[in-house]
Amino acid sequence: MRALTAIFLLYALNGYPAGLPAKKHWSWQPLKRPSVPNAPEYTNPIDAFIVVHLKTKGLKPAREADRRTLIRRLTFNLTGLPPTPKEINQFLQDTGPGAYDRLVNRLLASTAYGEHWAQHWLDLARFAETDGFEHDKVRPNAWRYRDWVIKAFNDDLPYNRFVQLQIAGDQLHPDDPQAAIATGFLLAGQDMPDINLLSERRHMVLNEMTATIGSAFLGLTFGCAQCHKHKSDPISQEEFYQMRAFFESDLQLKERKVGKVTARIMQAGKHIPTHVMTRGDFRRAGKMVQPAYPSVVNPAGTRPPKGQRRELAVWLTGPDNALALRVAANRLWQQHFGRPLATPEDFGTQGLPPTHPQLLDWLAAELPRRKWSLKAMHKLIVTSATWRQASRDNEGDPEWPARLQKDPDNLLWSRQIRHRLTGEMLRDTLLAVSGSLSNRNGGPGVRPPLPKEITSTLLKNQWPVSRDETDHRRRSIYLFARRNLRYPIFELFDRPALAESCAARMVSTTAPQSLGLLNSEFTRNAAGRLAKHVASETKTPKMHVKLCYQLLLGRAPDTNELAAATDLITSSPDQQTGLSDLCLALFNLNEFLYLD
Amino acid sequence: MINRRNFLVEAGGGIGTLAFSSLLANEAAATPLAPRPPHFAPRAKRVLWLFMHGGPSHMDLWDPKPDLIRYAGKPLPQSFGEVMTRRKVSMNPLLGPVKPFRPHGQSGLEISEFLPHMAQHADDLCVLRSCHGDSVNHPQSVYQMNTGSILMGKPSVGSWVTYGLGTENQDMPAFIVLPDPRGGLKGGPPAWGNGYLPATYQGTTLRPGANPILNLRPPADRTPKRQRSMAGFIQRFNKQHLADRDGDDALMARIHAYELAFRMQVAAPEAVNLSQETKATRQLYGIEGKETAEFGTRCLLARRMLERGVRFVQLYSGDTGGWDAHKGVLQNHTTWCHRTDQPIAGLFADLKARGLWEDTLIVWGGEFGRMPMSEQGSGRDHNPWGYSVVLAGGAVKGGMAYGATDPIGLRAEQSKVHIHDLHATILHMLGIDHEQLTAKHHGNDERLTNVSGNVIKEILS
Repeated sequence: MRALTAIFLLYALNGYPAGLPAKKHWSWQPLKRPSVPNAPEYTNPIDAFIVVHLKTKGLKPAREADRRTLIRRLTFNLTGLPPTPKEINQFLQDTGPGAYDRLVNRLLASTAYGEHWAQHWLDLARFAETDGFEHDKVRPNAWRYRDWVIKAFNDDLPYNRFVQLQIAGDQLHPDDPQAAIATGFLLAGQDMPDINLLSERRHMVLNEMTATIGSAFLGLTFGCAQCHKHKSDPISQEEFYQMRAFFESDLQLKERKVGKVTARIMQAGKHIPTHVMTRGDFRRAGKMVQPAYPSVVNPAGTRPPKGQRRELAVWLTGPDNALALRVAANRLWQQHFGRPLATPEDFGTQGLPPTHPQLLDWLAAELPRRKWSLKAMHKLIVTSATWRQASRDNEGDPEWPARLQKDPDNLLWSRQIRHRLTGEMLRDTLLAVSGSLSNRNGGPGVRPPLPKEITSTLLKNQWPVSRDETDHRRRSIYLFARRNLRYPIFELFDRPALAESCAARMVSTTAPQSLGLLNSEFTRNAAGRLAKHVASETKTPKMHVKLCYQLLLGRAPDTNELAAATDLITSSPDQQTGLSDLCLALFNLNEFLYLD
Repeated sequence: MINRRNFLVEAGGGIGTLAFSSLLANEAAATPLAPRPPHFAPRAKRVLWLFMHGGPSHMDLWDPKPDLIRYAGKPLPQSFGEVMTRRKVSMNPLLGPVKPFRPHGQSGLEISEFLPHMAQHADDLCVLRSCHGDSVNHPQSVYQMNTGSILMGKPSVGSWVTYGLGTENQDMPAFIVLPDPRGGLKGGPPAWGNGYLPATYQGTTLRPGANPILNLRPPADRTPKRQRSMAGFIQRFNKQHLADRDGDDALMARIHAYELAFRMQVAAPEAVNLSQETKATRQLYGIEGKETAEFGTRCLLARRMLERGVRFVQLYSGDTGGWDAHKGVLQNHTTWCHRTDQPIAGLFADLKARGLWEDTLIVWGGEFGRMPMSEQGSGRDHNPWGYSVVLAGGAVKGGMAYGATDPIGLRAEQSKVHIHDLHATILHMLGIDHEQLTAKHHGNDERLTNVSGNVIKEILS
């Protein structure tokens, strides 16, 4: 987010290149696969596109990060977990050709991959297991959709199929319960079941659903159009309700039986006409409208003959839907690099043009060419020299000062960007390093204990703690997602509010984060567990220190660190407490929280 | 090398015109909560919001309705048309005010006998009698009163204000919420959430007692000496780490965040320590009284926060039911008025005595008001169509009522004040132009007041 906002500032200071007629806006131009610039020293086309821009400033890509940094960065990026000391050593010793490729393959094949990448998607799906509002009622089967997403990532379900099923799985595969469960995407948003009027409730859910299609797949803010037309909005109020018309008849507010289970799904119901609602007021039905695609992103003028969701699903994932492909490619880039090529969810005329338009288009065109395989796209990106660059100069790169000077905001990618762990990654890591992370997967969300101060702000019995203690140590993706209460460490580290689709999390830095890492019961328990684990594996304080550094930072301590850390252990009246204090202190290091 | 733009972004997250330009003007403003100049000269510097959860009854507290006495027991005249209600009460007989009103002070502002203590400040109160919102439901209305939207997940007024102005006291959170310890706010913590603004601007909940802020205190078994050793270790190696990384702004911001956390560990317990308060003060707030002790204590805490330069303080009164008098308005409001009236009046008197009254904006209100029709004989249903919110402090004209509901208090009728207007007015008093305080979200310049909001100029002092 950081440099993303920097781009914004750049334009805020220098003036945005405005005045282009809306129809000519870059994001909805037809996709022509750009030819790859000539850069014979690079085999990965991504690098060729990047190098072209760097050359204009007289720069070259930075050298590759050292191998320890690389395996740490890669393991976290693909699985959300740290590499074990053993995995680090294996990689360091594997000096043969293709070692890095083998590492990428291993990580992409692990179930941890899907458990990590699903969270990106669940942010976008504003997924929670409760309704929100007053009673924040539990949706007992919402986890089925979450598990479907994880499996889809792990099975490398082609992205077009992945999207289609979430919009119209029930219509595309009427006999497959899992396909119907995928439509849980549409219904994952907030809902107010106890509201007076059913018509108001349906109106809210349908408009929220329609707005989510806009932000999740088209990178456009539809939400405002439900009430009025902004000058800058690419779609009209009528078009908003035309989009809503795809869902109107199939919205089911109650769970349905699907195969042998129940779930929140879309299902054909009796025909309900859609009206434009004047000023977005559900009591003021205006003109009746039929399902249609927004004109600005539908230059071909395609019409859905039957007005069914399945048509929308196919249209959204067509190889010629330039906007949807650009949005997907941009998001992939952002999830790997921590910053997108163009502002996400902002592909409308108010957004900023991409820093590398050719690269974005090439990547967008590449997705269908690679059979819509996300794993193939991940591999393409993380094997690029651009992604493998160092983020800092620890080996006396003579060009380094020039990088900082000529590319101060790193808009040209003259080096890698430092990434902060998310709250989920942080929690999983603290469990993993002491060998406490449970490998159970799937099923209803689990609830580890919460501080009393937090449960007291809830209604009664909203957080019954899971009985089996092992469940408290499961991966973060399996924690019960209550819409009105984010799990504390996730909330501290910028998990979105689950109130609407979120494509890019904020990265804030706050004092409560520091207090949480220093004093919370969760981190103290984690430190205690790690200390116990380390004490059982090694004998002397010095050896404890070395193991702690390997587990948490993936490297050996230097002389100063060894001395200071050993002192932290031995200066405690009780060695075990001293070791636990050291673990806690290490959790608070920037080197632990940020990936080079 | 420190890149200033990045640093601002890293430290502050979102960029609003106000926040951005004033930060640029002040190189030294290295934290997202540093005080920032407003758009124009403010009338108030800080806000105290007394939130009566459940929906207090305007026609029994602030909005005298002689016609309602006259028509009590009769059905709603047809001329009022269809009314949307939560519990289908529109056909029920009208219920007359359950307490008499009397004029108070030199202004003669009419206030009911439910609030004898607040009534002593009548000449300093500005009653907005024509407020209205958009939902007959609690959580939607709690969200709307706090964020302008009936949907969850938008930034609250407190978040917007601290995003715009930062805060005076860098050792304390900028936006403090004192929830009712009985719990059960309908809509829950999103009511003070930061929405799409950076987490820095989220309300921090504060409780009376030894551990006022979650995770503030080191565990009991960690001695101060140990704590210092650990802090020293962390800061030493974080600085060394930074030195190897081109002075990365994010890393530096995090070193600052630890410094703030350590200062907060000292400042916050001191701020909530009431042991030095005199007996007279405790009596003033009703802390000595059984029914008033709880809210009185939080009112006193609120004053200590305001005194220390906290920008925005919000107090909630009311558990799950709270002021939600579906039956027995008399009993319900007798209880809740008794719990809050004296503490609030005491707080007003104390703010005046300490010179804090003039530049503090005080807001008293619920998420909506109540219906003139009866429910279950003696109660009243929710009413978002017309109700009262009370403002006080040096920024507003005292001893006045602004706007009016219809003759029975059903709907706002004259000089209507939508919640967006109320929000625009609150920001205006703080020196903020509500149309200029914006944050980029999904490509739009979002505002607290969406696309509406008119400042009520007539009530400004």
